[in-house]
Amino acid sequence: MRQLGELEAEIMHRLWAWGRPATARDVLVDLSKTRPIAYSTVKTVADILHSKGMLKRHKEGRAWVYEPTCTRQQYTASQMQEALGGNPDPVGTLVSFIEQITPEEAEALRSALRAARRRSNA
Amino acid sequence: MATFVVATALTVYHVVLAEWHAHEGLVGLLAVCGLTADAPVSESAPTLGDALALSAPAVIVLLPLGWFVLCTWRARRARQRHLDMLALVGEPAPGYEATVVDHGPPAVYCLPGRRHRVVVTRGALDVLSDAQMRAVLEHERAHIEGRHHLLHLLVDAFSRAFPGLPLARHAKEQTALLVEMIADDRALRHHSRDALAAAMCEVAAGQAPQGTLGVGGPGALIRLRRVLTPQPRPHRVTWLGVVMASTAAPLLPLLVACAP
Repeated sequence: MRQLGELEAEIMHRLWAWGRPATARDVLVDLSKTRPIAYSTVKTVADILHSKGMLKRHKEGRAWVYEPTCTRQQYTASQMQEALGGNPDPVGTLVSFIEQITPEEAEALRSALRAARRRSNA
Repeated sequence: MATFVVATALTVYHVVLAEWHAHEGLVGLLAVCGLTADAPVSESAPTLGDALALSAPAVIVLLPLGWFVLCTWRARRARQRHLDMLALVGEPAPGYEATVVDHGPPAVYCLPGRRHRVVVTRGALDVLSDAQMRAVLEHERAHIEGRHHLLHLLVDAFSRAFPGLPLARHAKEQTALLVEMIADDRALRHHSRDALAAAMCEVAAGQAPQGTLGVGGPGALIRLRRVLTPQPRPHRVTWLGVVMASTAAPLLPLLVACAP
């Protein structure tokens, strides 16, 4: 299962880096430079990514052409906002260093820090 | 919380058995508990009352346990999803034992559990100095090594099992704060107060405020003040006294009740 996850990442990395639609064959050619891999494996994982909504595809001639649905930045931003933003995952998923605060509270933090620095300098 | 669960379970048990008490008194209670050898053993089949007497307290004990199992399972799945996401967009941080995610607002967090990991955003890498970053990473490692997420899960399960209970709400807030303080103390063993405090300021202030705000915001200020003011370690005698007092307190009623 983890192996599949790694291949998903490899395919997404390539498609994001290329910035153009590509067939499973294109990806296969690039992946084969590092290790032997079957066409059917790449095609299966590309279809999994399509069903997950990470890739969109259309037919060109007889081959499916795949393309990321969003850029890497968009994907990261939406995922991080989901994880850290207003609608957090179930408790115990991740432990944040410090919770979100309002600008006024941030100012209070800064002034407390400034006061402490003045004290230690004096 | 454990005290609350046990006490409520016992109370319900006694409420259900109240009639027996009225009829048979203390000897009857002992008989029910099977403590007196010559007590008449009830021959009749278990009645509805018997079933209720056992199941009601059992529910009170099993409810938080069930929530705990459910929440743990949910959190595991969410962590798994998050790890999958990190496999796609995370990169090893140069020079640190952490994963970097290309995201603007500064944030640092850890994914606890067997496949634990500390994650920092690109924004956090930009605003924090090397010393500050190392202090923050030490803080997160303390969470992972202390398995603090289990404490979070425990209080969460308790508050779900008994919603609306002020004890549950306080337990949740206080546990979250105390756990952070423990991690702060761990970070301060090897890193300067100023580095950790400044890192708190930078990360907390840099996060884009959105949606519900100020959830435990005062907690950040309490932590910062605590980090900035050095507290002398309690004297050994004081420490011993606190331990003895907290051990003795729950035993006191027992001693009073059982005194000849």
